[in-house]
Amino acid sequence: MTPTLSTTATLSTDRRDSHRPDGDRPDAPRPDGAKLVVSSVTKVFRRRGSITEALQFVDLHVDEGEFVCLLGASGCGKSTLLSIIGGLEEATSGSVRVDGDLVVGPGADRGMVFQGYSLFPWATVAQNIDWGLQVARWSKDRRRDRVDELLGIMSLREFANALPRELSGGMRQRVAIARALAPEPDLLLLDEPFGALDAQTRRHLQDFLLGLWQRTGTTILMVTHDVEEAVYLANRIYVMSARPGRITQEVTIPFDRNRGAGIKRDPRFLDLRDRLAELLG
Amino acid sequence: MSVRTATAAAPSALVDEFAEIELVSETTNPWTPSRKASSSTWTAGAGMRGRRHHPLLRIRGSLEIRWRVALSVAGLAVIVVGWFVAASRAGSGASLLPSPMAVAKAIAHLWSNHTFVGDLWASSQRILLGYSISVGLGSIFGIAIGTFVSVESFFEAQIGFLRYIPASALTPVFLLWFGIGESPKVWLIVVGTVFFNVLMIADAARAVPRELLHASYTLGGGRRTTLRRVILRHSLPGIVDAARVNLAAAWLMLVVAEMLAADKGLAYQIVRAQRFRAVDTMFALLLVFGAIGLASDLFLRWLRNATSPWARP
Ligand SMILES: Nc1ncnc2c1ncn2[C@@H]1O[C@H](COP(=O)(O)OP(=O)(O)OP(=O)(O)O)[C@@H](O)[C@H]1O
Ligand SMILES: [Mg+2]
Repeated sequence: MTPTLSTTATLSTDRRDSHRPDGDRPDAPRPDGAKLVVSSVTKVFRRRGSITEALQFVDLHVDEGEFVCLLGASGCGKSTLLSIIGGLEEATSGSVRVDGDLVVGPGADRGMVFQGYSLFPWATVAQNIDWGLQVARWSKDRRRDRVDELLGIMSLREFANALPRELSGGMRQRVAIARALAPEPDLLLLDEPFGALDAQTRRHLQDFLLGLWQRTGTTILMVTHDVEEAVYLANRIYVMSARPGRITQEVTIPFDRNRGAGIKRDPRFLDLRDRLAELLG
Repeated sequence: MSVRTATAAAPSALVDEFAEIELVSETTNPWTPSRKASSSTWTAGAGMRGRRHHPLLRIRGSLEIRWRVALSVAGLAVIVVGWFVAASRAGSGASLLPSPMAVAKAIAHLWSNHTFVGDLWASSQRILLGYSISVGLGSIFGIAIGTFVSVESFFEAQIGFLRYIPASALTPVFLLWFGIGESPKVWLIVVGTVFFNVLMIADAARAVPRELLHASYTLGGGRRTTLRRVILRHSLPGIVDAARVNLAAAWLMLVVAEMLAADKGLAYQIVRAQRFRAVDTMFALLLVFGAIGLASDLFLRWLRNATSPWARP
């Protein structure tokens, strides 16, 4: 109970030396039963003679129902890693497994929210949310109910028939999240979903996402470079180094799922936040 | 209360204040550059910062619709007036440059002439058929080229070579191949426009943001769904734009074909009028071409905005 010795968090798992020669470890899912396992993923971009090593031997896992954040400076390969997990980009080496299955391409089981705006500009808010449901051939009634439910959750009912370009940035991001959630993916991959928003909208959406996770127990992997956001939302945080991106720290957050904004005043929260911020420089 | 008594106590100051407000509001007439105001000896705060230009001269300004219509009419009027002046000065050359009145008469005469509608229809039919084929092929190949690098590689050299062969130079060849019926004319229109359409539509397909494709994939869309519901959908305004821009080339090819071998059609009638030195009829037919072009342009603009209101600039 002494405030000076305030944290039980493990900031200790220094994984700086975790990269190792090829073939040292077999390609098997490491922590058994994890929802998502990324093993030794390396990504090298070759383009017109220049070579960019974006990721170097990245290992991470996300358990079923867990909320994991990926923290790192700009350009360290977070988006690249998420694209590889989503199956949109091929890893140069290494593997990604979801429920033990090797990921070789994109699929509706891994819903994604992108860093930039990716709403279909010709489709209304409701049509955007409905898109994945239509592709998955849900029945008309089920689709209508699901879209309506998500419009309600996101407080977007009034704008159901608006086009994306008529919406504010925060509203567009809510639509993008709703669209990704609609087909009920097993795993939600979020790439800085609140990056371009003002502080207030951002807090609002963080609380919304927290509530959603508490209610549904969806497995979430979220990229951010906002330390406070990561500590507030995540069960665990992976910290990545600057390019070439490697996992340098793995931090377990000592708060359980049923947390609220109250933890932001907890000394352990403040301590973790400060130490992570220092790590990122 | 206190303010009121103060102003009432000093009526002259009040008047001065009003005078200044008056002056300022005069200079805030937004179209007047404010150099005078900013370098004035007036009290600070009475000048203006920045410059606001008249909407007519503003870069990317927006104009009220009545201004736009007025300017369009003025633009046309300049041509008509210039024509009047030129025709009245032509003197002995009057047989080469007819007056607008003579041409108006010739147009009226064309309308009453029962062959005119047949000529108009013959030309329109060739354009409709040939250009539909061209836009159809252009869409298929353009989308494929803009979507699959393999298809692009296969066609790149082919198209790069073929599109520099002037299509009008193919007329004699086509006449040999297809005879003098309708098919050489239709195929000339196709060949003369299809490469432009393919290239422009391929660009439209390439312009589909990668993130939209990724969004489609991660929502469970396969290649076919993505092709149809994202790439084609996003390229639609680009396809209509391509069709609108390249339509002029279709008319060009039609005229080439009709002038060489036809027994009806608008361009054929121009050649015929030349034989009778009926310059007014020739001009009347040129105006008909212009009017059809303008109408189809307006129609395709409308079509673009009606099918893709989201892409309106
Ligand atoms: N298609 C590509 N071709 C070449 N290099 C690329 C490509 N995509 C990403 N990179 C490079 O890979 C590195 C990582 O990029 P990435 O977008 O994953 O960074 P990030 O961590 O998401 O950054 P940010 O926080 O700014 O979004 C960058 O140096 C970038 O230049
Ligand atoms: Mg990124």
